[in-house]
Amino acid sequence: MHTFTLRSLALSSLVSTLGLAAFAAATDTAAIPDRPEKLHFPPLVYEPPNPADYRVELKAGPVAYVVPDHELPLINLALYVRTGQYVEPADKVGVSELAGYLLARGGTESMTAEELEEKLDFLAAQLNSGIGETQGSVSLNLLAKDLDTGLDILREVLTKPRFQADKIKLHQEQLLQAMKQRNDDSADIEEREQGFLAFGEKFWANRYPTAASVGGITRDDLRAFHHQWFHPANFVVAVSGDFDREAMVAKLETLFADRPFQGEKSPAIPTNTTFAAPAVYLVDKDVNQGRVTVMLPGVLRDDPEYFAIAVMNRILGGGGFTSRIMNRVRSDEGLAYSAYSSFQGGVYYPQPFEAGFQSKSRTVAYATSIVLEEMKRIATEPVTDEELETEKRSLIDTFPRAFATKAQVAARFADDEFTGRFAKNPTYWKTYRDKVAAVTKDDVLRVAKEHLTPDRVAILVVGQKDQILLGYPSHPVKLTDLAGGKLVDVPLRDPLTMQPMTK
Amino acid sequence: MKILERLATRSAGFRRGLRGCLSVWLLSGGVALAQQVPVGEHTLPNGMKMLLVERHDEPTVSGAFVVHAGSANERPGITGIAHLFEHMMFKGTPTIGTKDAKRDLEIIAEQEQVRDQMRQEEHKMRAEWRRGDITDLQKPENQTARYRELEAQFKQLVEAQREELVKNEFDRIYTSEGASGMNAFTHYDMTAYFITVPANKLELWMWMESERLLHPVFREFYAERDVVFEERRMRTESTPLGKFEEEFNSMFWEALPYHWPIVGWASDIPAISKAEADQFYATYYAPQNITLILVGDFKPETALAEATRYFGRIPHGKVDAPDVVTLEPRQEAEKRMNAEAETNPQVDILWHTVPFGHKDSYALEVLAQLLSTRTGRLYKGLVLGREVATDTFARQESRHWAGLFNAGGEAREGHAPTEVEQAIYDELDKLKETPVPAEELQKVKNNFAAAEYRKLSSNSAILFQLIFNDGFGDWHEINEAGKKIQAVTAEDVQRVAKTYFTKENRAVAIYLRKASTEPEDPLLAGLSAEQKAQLKPQLERLKTATDVEKLRAGLASMEQHAAQAPAEAKPMIEVLKKKLLERIAELEKAPKN
Repeated sequence: MHTFTLRSLALSSLVSTLGLAAFAAATDTAAIPDRPEKLHFPPLVYEPPNPADYRVELKAGPVAYVVPDHELPLINLALYVRTGQYVEPADKVGVSELAGYLLARGGTESMTAEELEEKLDFLAAQLNSGIGETQGSVSLNLLAKDLDTGLDILREVLTKPRFQADKIKLHQEQLLQAMKQRNDDSADIEEREQGFLAFGEKFWANRYPTAASVGGITRDDLRAFHHQWFHPANFVVAVSGDFDREAMVAKLETLFADRPFQGEKSPAIPTNTTFAAPAVYLVDKDVNQGRVTVMLPGVLRDDPEYFAIAVMNRILGGGGFTSRIMNRVRSDEGLAYSAYSSFQGGVYYPQPFEAGFQSKSRTVAYATSIVLEEMKRIATEPVTDEELETEKRSLIDTFPRAFATKAQVAARFADDEFTGRFAKNPTYWKTYRDKVAAVTKDDVLRVAKEHLTPDRVAILVVGQKDQILLGYPSHPVKLTDLAGGKLVDVPLRDPLTMQPMTK
Repeated sequence: MKILERLATRSAGFRRGLRGCLSVWLLSGGVALAQQVPVGEHTLPNGMKMLLVERHDEPTVSGAFVVHAGSANERPGITGIAHLFEHMMFKGTPTIGTKDAKRDLEIIAEQEQVRDQMRQEEHKMRAEWRRGDITDLQKPENQTARYRELEAQFKQLVEAQREELVKNEFDRIYTSEGASGMNAFTHYDMTAYFITVPANKLELWMWMESERLLHPVFREFYAERDVVFEERRMRTESTPLGKFEEEFNSMFWEALPYHWPIVGWASDIPAISKAEADQFYATYYAPQNITLILVGDFKPETALAEATRYFGRIPHGKVDAPDVVTLEPRQEAEKRMNAEAETNPQVDILWHTVPFGHKDSYALEVLAQLLSTRTGRLYKGLVLGREVATDTFARQESRHWAGLFNAGGEAREGHAPTEVEQAIYDELDKLKETPVPAEELQKVKNNFAAAEYRKLSSNSAILFQLIFNDGFGDWHEINEAGKKIQAVTAEDVQRVAKTYFTKENRAVAIYLRKASTEPEDPLLAGLSAEQKAQLKPQLERLKTATDVEKLRAGLASMEQHAAQAPAEAKPMIEVLKKKLLERIAELEKAPKN
């Protein structure tokens, strides 16, 4: 018996080995081609999900996207709120950050902050909240079995947040600590100054919390801000996971019914941006690698030529290793690790074109000159058929990834609802691939010529001024030769007041 | 194409990154909810291992191969080679990346001849540096005349090669076929290459990956070496804490090859030769040292047959990669590093603990979780309780050859990092003295158990858990670690706390803000350094003061005494008065609490 068992085991493994070998031998007869173009792939048919299949207009006010998914016993609920830094009163800059952070972390009427967090943590539930420039969000991820408990907590958080005094004070201190680091990392300085150049000193998105503004915010300010904006007419909901659709809709109606306070409908987002005058803007910072951003005025994502702009940008610098800026600055010359361009259409106001890289101080000017050269080239010569095809096929064939998980489906449709894309263009995703396919070489050249205008370029450089101006012996170009030869010294800003500092 | 040094160097950004990235395996657990990942394991005839997870959520396949070699397999002089090599793996094959494979190889050989001569000049330049004749080897003016001549020659050969190059063709093929997220990372213990392809193009992945493993061509080697040096500048040299973290890491590991940074020392990167890279490939990129992983929409039997056909072509390596035999000696005395950096005051503490799969690693992970999050002991004890910190963290990091425990925090205004340090020790002492209450332990275990489900949320989440588990030593841990974590008892936690958290087993980094980078208020410009130092703490307090009456009283008393103040103190008093008035005006404008 013992022997038999061993033999049969040995036999079965022998069979499987033989089977595999035979199969491998059979396929081996087809020689492996020397080029991948010689491979043949079966067709892939893909249709994106239809937003109408998930869209529910709740009686209580919000629109919800409800996407059942029974694979795992988890539920993911996200609430998007029409509020943001843009509605902050000018003397209360920072109130949205504090209110957003403390909504889910500052307790409720019946629970202290500590009780709330302990209760959620024992259920391994993740409740988060925050407010950004033009959107607030509250999210809850929990096990399906805890849904009712979770929704009860969420309702209390949304309607009766405590904004516990000691938690306000603590977060004010945390924000102050974060402010002190504003000039420590050259990447942070760069990001901030990009905003000033792209939108202007006076634009609302360039109002930064200061030690004084944050210190002056009170619990009453947080309550007022919350009451003003956190009510169902300003909500859009995305929910996915292990539930029955009708049951979830009923629960959402209860969640948002009978609000204890009336709020205000959020105003339109101001769009009064101003773009910097052409020049090189230099922030002196003692690091051995300079950070460079070449900037130009941008577009909206609803721009009728947006798909041509997106394809053009991918060929220029947005397509990673297939793009021209990457090929020249990084791969040919070894001047940078990261080299890119970006031309994202703004949702509410134009987002700038940006091309950038980081290079050792002495080669900053040379690498910048290469980026400008490539911007000029794409605006004067047609791209190749191969470049156009590569980027179009990439956009078309990676399209299914936009809806890879059910949580992504719910979030993407809720975002379209929130930003008005669904109302304006309900078949945006259905026709997405056709719009990419329609882009021609002429379109690419035309949009490049229209938008990549060398005489309007603003160049931001953050790094060691002396070394950067010195240049590199074997590359004679100087920073002062670029952007019309105008060099503007940009002082660092005091991290606590954001006022320019004297040296 | 990045270094996963952040897995080990503990910058603030990295802490977040680590939680995001490693929580997928650190937090795998849950007896009650045990959720097994159905992994099919196979070994190809040449010794290459293959892991398959079939999932039909979306029409894609995420694929990776993990090489069981990282910076821990290097030696001084070639530190950074595992990472540079990872970059070179994207440069193509005899048919990908060039129009003329023969001419391409000829030019590479000619380039190497010039480079050999340049290396002789570099040898001379290093000698000049040792004598003190030059101080900076990176400065172009310090190159010898002969070096510059050779560099010009080399540049001509690069231009000749460029005639035949098809730039970044390896990437372009994948991109134009709808692949996405192509990248790779290098870690101390492993190097992994990953990408997602449309479900109908699994064979493309087989072709591309097997071709580059079978016969990679390391063209454009020296430009890529410069790219890697820029990567070092970007991640290590031009960030506020990069250089300090590198030094601290190096101080912590005495003997193990974790002692040097993954990206390599600044002296070594520009000295690595193509011949050394060839040798590294021959030693470590043999099939028996590699695991293939596929997660997504495919049929396992087809995938296995195709893998056998494509990857089976690669011959089994003649010799196995050498083992790392060094064991970290027991640390006999506490180590301390005092740094002044452009950062808020903070403390970072490391203890030597245990490697991946060690029986104590599960209790240490539970212990880390007990200390972490806003309901954890460090936050409660240091941020909310003693109010000495504004942020804290704790984590266990189990690597292949050894492990560490890391905890730290940022000091609150008016408190020193050493106070944060002491408070961390006090929390650890409580864990040594008293067993963790049942409810608290259960809370932590519930979170590990829920993570069992969360870890299955996408193909790429599963792929990365398999990459790390396999790279650290055993992919089965993706399904086994959870049970072991649920089995941890309060006594286990107490025992590991006593075993590992001793004074002589730790290294401590204390960071203070570098004086010259203190934020400068324009109003202070006219004051002496001494006056600034005197005034600053007062101005800090003023920013958070809320009692208007007190401020008014302070102002009145100052005005009273201003006349008696020495002349040189007058500007300082003026500044303070101005600030007081500003703050009062601000408070009066704001509505009352």
